[in-house]
Amino acid sequence: MIERHLLKLRARDTVSPEEEQAIRDSIAEVRTFGADEILIHAGRVLSFSILLLEGILCRYKDLSDGQRQITELHVPGDFADLHSFTLKRLDHNIMTITPCRVAIVPHEKLEQITERLPHLTRLYWFTTNMDAAIHREWEVSLGRRSAVSRIAALFCEMKLRLEVVGLTDGLSYDFDITQTDLAECVGLTPIHVNRTLKDLRERGLVQFKSGRVTIHDWKGLVEVGEFDPAYLYLEKWHL
Amino acid sequence: MRWAPMARYFLNINNGGGYSEDPEGQELENLDAARAAAIEGVRSLLSEEARQGQLDLSGKIEIADADGNILLVVPFSEAVELRQPG
Repeated sequence: MIERHLLKLRARDTVSPEEEQAIRDSIAEVRTFGADEILIHAGRVLSFSILLLEGILCRYKDLSDGQRQITELHVPGDFADLHSFTLKRLDHNIMTITPCRVAIVPHEKLEQITERLPHLTRLYWFTTNMDAAIHREWEVSLGRRSAVSRIAALFCEMKLRLEVVGLTDGLSYDFDITQTDLAECVGLTPIHVNRTLKDLRERGLVQFKSGRVTIHDWKGLVEVGEFDPAYLYLEKWHL
Repeated sequence: MRWAPMARYFLNINNGGGYSEDPEGQELENLDAARAAAIEGVRSLLSEEARQGQLDLSGKIEIADADGNILLVVPFSEAVELRQPG
């Protein structure tokens, strides 16, 4: 059940059998959700964190005029809100993009891990730092990059993150999000995303169709997206 | 929460960059909301053009229903008010 989570962790560090068992034992229950369901509302006091097993989740904030900004996407193997263990409430919402299967990890269990397993604790600290690194990369995209570069960078990021957890097929992967969701990730409108995808397709870089990304020119896409995977901390992994 | 789905509108783009069909459409309340989405989309496209030093107002957005019937055409020029010297 936690195989993808272990793949994510082991791409960066070791996980001992004892640590692996502690992670398995920390799961209280598994729940399934449909697409577009809000799992966590900002401000609510939380007693558990969510480990994503299948599907795509997002962190997002709503604006008063009805706009939404997605601030990070989560792939299987990610904790969506390990930070709620220390923050206790979130300053953003968490929603499913596709149907999802998630494991519920009570904060009490995480507390036991921090008391008993210092290396695993540091590894979890590392993963929340990596979420912060992903946020910084998105901040750069949203603040400075062109439309075509923002989408190229996102497709590159998702390719690597999904590859780490065994969910790519060479240069293509399932990415069942709508153009509206995509627009909410990159701070554009669905029309602008549609036009930008056409541009990327016609330049022979990447095709996004029917919930699947197919990269035709990885080097070219990396260049357009100014994608530097350093922020994903994969030095120990076979890139 | 996302608003209650009422109807699916397809916002196809036709401008200097060619024709882009909207492959999936958007659930919107009514044609007014679809027009507002089209205007917002055009402004987003034009803002990127302006940043690159050009502005092509000759395009249009076709708003179609699920059967492909064109319900409304929104010219890019309707999305912005232009004031020029003199």
